[in-house]
Amino acid sequence: MATAVVARPVARPQARARDEEVLVWPDLVFIEFIAALVFTITLFALASVMNAPLLDQANADVTPNPSKAPWYLLNLQELLLHMNAAMAGVIIPTIWLVIMGAFPYFDRDNDGQGAYFATENSVKITVVAGVIGIVGTWALILWDSGKIAFFLNDWFGLSGGDRLRFLENVRSFQSQVQWPDWASDIPYLPFNLKILASDAPGGPTEFQHIDFPGFIVEIAIPMLAMVALPTIMIYAMWRLGWVQTRRDALLALFSGFIGAYGVLTLAGTAFRGQGQELVFPWELKVSEGIPGQEAH
Amino acid sequence: MAVEHPASPTIADKIYDKLFHNYVWKSIFRTGYPNTPRNQMLVVATNVFLHLHPTRIHRTHVKVTHTYCLGGLSFFMFLGLTVTGILLMFYYVPSVDRAYLDIQNIQTNVQFGQLMRNLHRWMAHAMVILVFLHMMRVFYTGAYKPPREFNWVVGVVLLVLTFLLSFTGYLLPWDQLAFWAITVGTNIAGSAPVLGPKSRFWLLGGLQVGPDALIRFYTLHVIGLPLLAAIFMAVHFWRIRRDGGLARPL
Repeated sequence: MATAVVARPVARPQARARDEEVLVWPDLVFIEFIAALVFTITLFALASVMNAPLLDQANADVTPNPSKAPWYLLNLQELLLHMNAAMAGVIIPTIWLVIMGAFPYFDRDNDGQGAYFATENSVKITVVAGVIGIVGTWALILWDSGKIAFFLNDWFGLSGGDRLRFLENVRSFQSQVQWPDWASDIPYLPFNLKILASDAPGGPTEFQHIDFPGFIVEIAIPMLAMVALPTIMIYAMWRLGWVQTRRDALLALFSGFIGAYGVLTLAGTAFRGQGQELVFPWELKVSEGIPGQEAH
Repeated sequence: MAVEHPASPTIADKIYDKLFHNYVWKSIFRTGYPNTPRNQMLVVATNVFLHLHPTRIHRTHVKVTHTYCLGGLSFFMFLGLTVTGILLMFYYVPSVDRAYLDIQNIQTNVQFGQLMRNLHRWMAHAMVILVFLHMMRVFYTGAYKPPREFNWVVGVVLLVLTFLLSFTGYLLPWDQLAFWAITVGTNIAGSAPVLGPKSRFWLLGGLQVGPDALIRFYTLHVIGLPLLAAIFMAVHFWRIRRDGGLARPL
């Protein structure tokens, strides 16, 4: 029994170097006190000059336009505009939280521990992945809002005509391509339901239907973008010799996430106006909505 | 060998002695005033609040630029939110008839009421930001590596709890901002496959944001989630100590 316990390599706290240590009182307690004091004063100052918002009393009949979630959920609300609701609102964030929770079980060696950017290439990877996350996410948002086609057309006079209209945004793959009628109405049986004769009790069988073009634009393309683009980025960095360890791969993935997350939050907060149209922050207006009329 | 005699005590020494070596002081603090290394270690080891810390710490970890105090400040925000939250609870009743009027009342009739509400709101935003920055700090210093794997997982849970704490508090003022933000937010939750509609129904206690949703959000906000967060924080802090404090290069 005992040997079985000893034989397994167990992660242990690092050995202590007494001569490198300082006393917590006063060295650390003092810093904590100052930090707490600075925050207390700053927050009191902020609270005395800026009031917490309070609008009119809640009214289920009056929908403000746009209606927005709290700012830290606006990244999800922004995602929601580009894909299937369940995927954007629940599946993607859940998967991401699980992936993030699993980081330490993927990257297990001690390289680069305990100091900022201690490994080779880490600054380069972080900066480049962060910029790719920022620029890439903006590019995708602009494309899916039809703004890129708009800019090309309006500013440069470039128009793809009707033949290229299906590239205008993600949704136009569905609306601008001549899909055969059956493609948007493929019958299938959910789970293990059997086909029943029309006179059977409980029959006839009700088929479910898959909208294939809808599946492409709401699930397949966004999924592909979110899985393939980071994979391509990390693969490219690996081929360039920047990413050499699992830590490097995580640095690229996490930094790309931070960039994308920041952009999604910012876009959802400051760049989404009425009807969730993409506008500049200074054009952003909220209408209180018309009683009895849903805004969207 | 000459024996050194201690200098005779000055007035300051006598006052110090009276203040910090008397019966009452010692009954409270056990140790003397922390002006010697021995007392400084004892004060950290014997005080229930300070003993979250070890008595000694590696010198690189007292550099502000290593942690920016982000974790500690997140906890400090939690404490501040508890204090201001309790004060707000004195005046706030989570019913659809009263909630909005109570908030107006807090802002206009309660001494420092507006200030307390402002503090509570800005601290809540600050906590969300600080917790997120703390996560970034831990990631970029590679502090999730062995033996701290599980504490990183606890941290991810605490991040989610912070979001939920903030989200449940968002409904309570019962104004248009609150109502529609929670409507949008719970619609997002309700879109989940299989479990979505049911979990949305449980969260709201109905099909739309109404009186049942208000009391559920209130209960979760003032007791359910803080309790859960406190448990996870206890585990989080305990494991920092058990794993040898902050991570440092090998």
